[in-house]
Amino acid sequence: MISQILGAVMLVYLGVAILFLAAEMWSSSRLQNTARWLLWVGLGAHTAALLGRWAGSYQLAALSTPPAAFTDILSLVIIQAPLSNFYESLVFFAWTLPALGLFAFRRYFKGYLGALVSTLACLLLAYASFGGVDSRIKPLMPALKSNWLLIHVVTAFLGYAAFALAFGTAILYLVQERRPRPSLPPPAQLDRLIYRATVLGFLLLTLGILTGAVWAETAWGRYWSWDPKETWSLITWLIYATMLHARLLKGWQGRRIAWLAVLGFLAVMFTYFGVSFLLSGLHSYLT
Amino acid sequence: MAKSPKQTTPASWLWGSLTSIRFTVFLLLILAAVAVIGTVVPQDQPPGQYVMRYGEGLGGFIYNWDLDRIYYSPWFLGPVVLLALNILACVIKGLPQAIRRCLTPFAAEAALTLPERGKFTWPAGVDPQSRIHTLLREELGGQARQETLGDQELYLVERGRWRPLGPYLVHLAILLILAGGLIGKFWGIEGDLPLHQGEVAQNFRVGGSQQPLNFQLRLDKFQVEFYEKGGIPKEFRSDLTFLKDGREMGRAVCRVNDPVTFDGLTFYQSSYGTQPEGPVRLKVSHGDQSQTLELTMRQKVDLPGGEAQAMLVRVDGNLQGYGPAAQVAFRGGAGHPEIFWVFKDHPELGEQPPPYRFTAEAIPFSYFSVFQVKSDPGVWWVYAGFILVFPGLYLAFFRPAARWAVVLEKAPKGGFKVRLLGASPRNREEFAAALEQLLAGFKKGTPS
Repeated sequence: MISQILGAVMLVYLGVAILFLAAEMWSSSRLQNTARWLLWVGLGAHTAALLGRWAGSYQLAALSTPPAAFTDILSLVIIQAPLSNFYESLVFFAWTLPALGLFAFRRYFKGYLGALVSTLACLLLAYASFGGVDSRIKPLMPALKSNWLLIHVVTAFLGYAAFALAFGTAILYLVQERRPRPSLPPPAQLDRLIYRATVLGFLLLTLGILTGAVWAETAWGRYWSWDPKETWSLITWLIYATMLHARLLKGWQGRRIAWLAVLGFLAVMFTYFGVSFLLSGLHSYLT
Repeated sequence: MAKSPKQTTPASWLWGSLTSIRFTVFLLLILAAVAVIGTVVPQDQPPGQYVMRYGEGLGGFIYNWDLDRIYYSPWFLGPVVLLALNILACVIKGLPQAIRRCLTPFAAEAALTLPERGKFTWPAGVDPQSRIHTLLREELGGQARQETLGDQELYLVERGRWRPLGPYLVHLAILLILAGGLIGKFWGIEGDLPLHQGEVAQNFRVGGSQQPLNFQLRLDKFQVEFYEKGGIPKEFRSDLTFLKDGREMGRAVCRVNDPVTFDGLTFYQSSYGTQPEGPVRLKVSHGDQSQTLELTMRQKVDLPGGEAQAMLVRVDGNLQGYGPAAQVAFRGGAGHPEIFWVFKDHPELGEQPPPYRFTAEAIPFSYFSVFQVKSDPGVWWVYAGFILVFPGLYLAFFRPAARWAVVLEKAPKGGFKVRLLGASPRNREEFAAALEQLLAGFKKGTPS
């Protein structure tokens, strides 16, 4: 049931991307609004699917350890958030993109940028559904049973999503610079949007790294172990820190900032996919 | 006019380089590059591994140049120390000024140096004071402060007054975290402790040596619980008793994600291991002969026919989810030794050396508990840094500084001259939007 919903959501995101593109080509605000409306529908269904999966894994866990008191129920709910394996992380990452776009960057989330980000969300869901990723709900290993799981994963992926928006905007900027189109937002506006999305992503990534460190300290007695995922998230953090310093103190703007946003997002993608597949470590239970 | 050359003493050159943003960016990128190497080259492996993987030349280079422990080598620690100095220098250079700026109230003199954004003439009939207050409140929020300077009346609004502190809080936080790491390195201790049920520990392992405990630790009970037989573990827990000179000082349950602290040392339930409980019984078939052998750890046993030997190396309670298994080393005649697993519940699994066929009749085992043992006085510094980062980031990025002033003067021919001044150097976008609204508001009712 949930996988059918997610399949439909994937098609909706694809439709949204096509509508956004069409809206841009015919500069039709009606199509723009239709796309936006459809995206809300997709996001609603996606949210329902996430909640459904959450309920499913809660029920499975409650079967093996029936919670007694209210606090037990609450902590089981928190622990069983559907964020504990690779499949669930793909589905959640796909959710954060339109969610962040619609809530935090509403004014800019349309046209080419909307199409780009919807396509990315669609691809993530397609990979989750058809990429041979194990989608079964599995019981949690002891290390994952922690209240930190929810906040750690949510902040990290919202950070990824903000960086994805910055990346999409940077691509638009670079295209706009080479072949200016009057229908696209002016470069100065894109430049500011890259910066704003990066600042948000930086804050969220910092939260993700620090909550992970506190969790690691309680689970393994080490707040930092140089595990590949930790190290790559630090590399990503350093790249974005460089970008913010270059902009705020050296006044870098435009093309150089756009390229740094691209580089930073490549590091994000490696932190997420590359580390899971190419390097093994504490986070390898994601695969 | 020729520029007068700046006087550069070595000290001022050093200070200049140490506080330069170019240096910071350089260090950040170097650190990122070194960290990339650290994730590509496997860390902390025995030297042979590197030679096997990369060959004599490169493998030897990796080992000799400390690329196998890169995060503890000068490659990484050097730039980290320089970065810490760089941050410290920047904080020393800028923090006093930032504090001074935050503590200095936004006053008339400073306001008059702001760039002028608009100029209006209002007719005599209006009540300029209340109008200015209303406009500023509607657009910027909050009450404007009023000051008088000569025959000018000033209305001042300041936003993001504490913004200048933001970056310094973030950088102080990073220094705290680095200091915490250093403190942990020098004054902390970290080791591990494997403990069997019923056993009393007096020491724990640090590196290759034993470190005495100030107390005794008894593992009363160790339980590993699985979701289903042969599946992933659901929980492992140790019931512990702390003793001093044989007297019981306290009891505690240690679980994953739920450490126990006693007398300054913290015990983390980090993993568990399997040990044999008595001899492993294997049936060995060779053609139509078969014989049951009893193997104990590390004891060679002759196989039927006398041409080969086997030895028990390890047992595992749940190898890769397939249940109990025994690892056996095998040597047939002058051949190379081979090593393989025999599964109790899955005789079909595992490659075995022909012509022999091993099946497990009994693999008696029990689990033992493995603790990470740690005392780290630096953790609180690190956590203090974690906490300080967030107000810092908030001030730095989400409380942009903006200063606004409205200067009101009586016009010589009656009516009022109104000037709007303001600046927000790091937040032009929002500033421009607010300015547009304000200008429109101020213009309304202006005779034109």
